[in-house]
Amino acid sequence: MLKLENITVIYNQGQENENMALKDVSLEANKSDFVVIVGSNGAGKTTLLNVILGKLKPTGGQYYLKDKPIKKPSISKMAHLIGRVYQNPDSGVFSNLTIRENLKIASKKGNRGLTFSQIDPKALELLRHLKMGLENRLDTIVGELSGGQKQALAMVMAVITNPEVLLLDEHTASLDPKSARRVMELTKMINEELDVTVMMITHNMDFAESYGNRKVEIKEGVLKEIPERQTTAVYAM
Amino acid sequence: MIAIIEQGIIIGITGIGVFLTFRILDMPDLTVEGSFGLGGAVTVGLIVLGLNPIMALLIAMILGGLAGLITGLIFRKLNVHVLLAGILVMTMLYSVNIRVMQGPNLPIPITRTENKLTNYEDISGEDPLADLFGDLEQEETQKVAVEESQAPTTQKSAIMNIFDNLRDGSDLFTILSIAGVIILILFVFLKTDLGTVLRGFGSNPEGVEAFGMSRDFISIFGLSLANVLVALSGGMFAMYSGFADVTMGQGMITTGLAMVMVGEIIFGRFKPLFGLIAPIIGGVVYQSILALVMRYGYKIGFRASDMKLLTALFIISVIGFSMIQNPKKKKQLKGKVKSLCSSSKI
Ligand SMILES: Nc1ncnc2c1ncn2[C@@H]1O[C@H](COP(=O)(O)OP(=O)(O)OP(=O)(O)O)[C@@H](O)[C@H]1O
Ligand SMILES: [Mg+2]
Repeated sequence: MLKLENITVIYNQGQENENMALKDVSLEANKSDFVVIVGSNGAGKTTLLNVILGKLKPTGGQYYLKDKPIKKPSISKMAHLIGRVYQNPDSGVFSNLTIRENLKIASKKGNRGLTFSQIDPKALELLRHLKMGLENRLDTIVGELSGGQKQALAMVMAVITNPEVLLLDEHTASLDPKSARRVMELTKMINEELDVTVMMITHNMDFAESYGNRKVEIKEGVLKEIPERQTTAVYAM
Repeated sequence: MIAIIEQGIIIGITGIGVFLTFRILDMPDLTVEGSFGLGGAVTVGLIVLGLNPIMALLIAMILGGLAGLITGLIFRKLNVHVLLAGILVMTMLYSVNIRVMQGPNLPIPITRTENKLTNYEDISGEDPLADLFGDLEQEETQKVAVEESQAPTTQKSAIMNIFDNLRDGSDLFTILSIAGVIILILFVFLKTDLGTVLRGFGSNPEGVEAFGMSRDFISIFGLSLANVLVALSGGMFAMYSGFADVTMGQGMITTGLAMVMVGEIIFGRFKPLFGLIAPIIGGVVYQSILALVMRYGYKIGFRASDMKLLTALFIISVIGFSMIQNPKKKKQLKGKVKSLCSSSKI
């Protein structure tokens, strides 16, 4: 599914502030894997995600998605293959538009023009699944929703077009415990029912422990897989 | 009064352009200052060359779009701050506009459409220059105009202007129709998928990439679209006034913003047609105030030239008041400025 081979990322190469953010990182994730990524601040987690998104060209190494090497990916192609949700609830939605308009934009990922498209029915189904009542408030401006609601909507928008991979960068970090739990349950459901590979960065030990079938830790740019049930130990160190 | 409404709607179209960049895209575009004049210069320049005024206006719009495109390319591809990119293009356009007009200003030769003259002297019995260009000083302009007016008039005698300047309502009808068509087209466009993304872009410019749209494309497209409107407005303004002038775009960004804000104050939270009408109403109100100041302002010591100062002070006070009313806005505004700067370096 997703395969990283000996990925190295060096920021500001050849300059005084040269910084090797990823060192020889290899990782293979299969369809329906739920990979939890942990590591302290500045370890290189976001850098890894940006490589996977095709936003950052690695200094060295190979990257394959669906068995095809990714070299110079187009924005629309990557949008189709990879959904993403970040920490800031406003970054995954368009807060000046209505829920309906947001879902419309998300429904037509990658091909868009002077057309008037409809919301993908699957999006409404997912919304209903959230049990937040958003499906009855389609004409509400998203800016008026709570952070948790926004983040849940962002998750729905990220997976409407059935991406291969869902990348999550601390997507529950700015939510209260209850909303965070809800969004985590949604994440699990997306992984299981839509069969999407999930890669989730988190600093929440609880979530790292109770979600996902695989865990990896990045430490100063080096990635290593943690066998099951040792996450807490890693964090305690 | 009718002239005030007519002029107000014409510059209101610039207001819509400013509204697109400042409000919808959240991208302060200063190209306006140059593209308004460009619209005027190209329209009049092409009419002088004998082109149909509607064709002239259309070409002016395309060139206005091109100006916006250049600003967008400098902004996105060279990573220059959008304000500086706009200033660069606006400065270039100053020179370009003078070249287009072959002087600092250029009049439309004959404005009465019903006069099917073959020769000016036949009708007036006078030297054409004495009447037409009597009080113009620019020699260069005269030379061009002389050549034009001496050329065979049979082809270009037809229609020189879409306006008759008779203040009988026919101009108002033309202007209203153009503004109406523009608003309608924009409204339908903003409802399309691309238009929806464009509206979303203002609140989350980075977000569009997650949904398969290039940020560069949206920025460049938006800047072009806005300047198409501004050039149209400039071209209409020049035709209405009977001439184009290199200084006609000066302060247009401030005027445009003032029109947008007046419109917003009048309409409040109610935003019919995505708020596209508001700048037009704002334009009419602005022109009315301008007319009042010009007519009665001298009594309390105002001069027409003080209008720009007043306009800018108006904008500052509107922003100030909105912050007092809603302190949260201050934070939002800061965030916006930050996001604007982080995307590019000067
Ligand atoms: N654009 C950049 N230019 C230069 N250095 C960068 C850039 N982005 C990240 N870095 C550096 O790369 C290293 C890894 O950063 P990264 O953002 O991947 O960390 P992270 O694991 O996501 O941390 P956090 O948990 O704080 O989000 C850090 O040392 C950081 O300073
Ligand atoms: Mg990070």
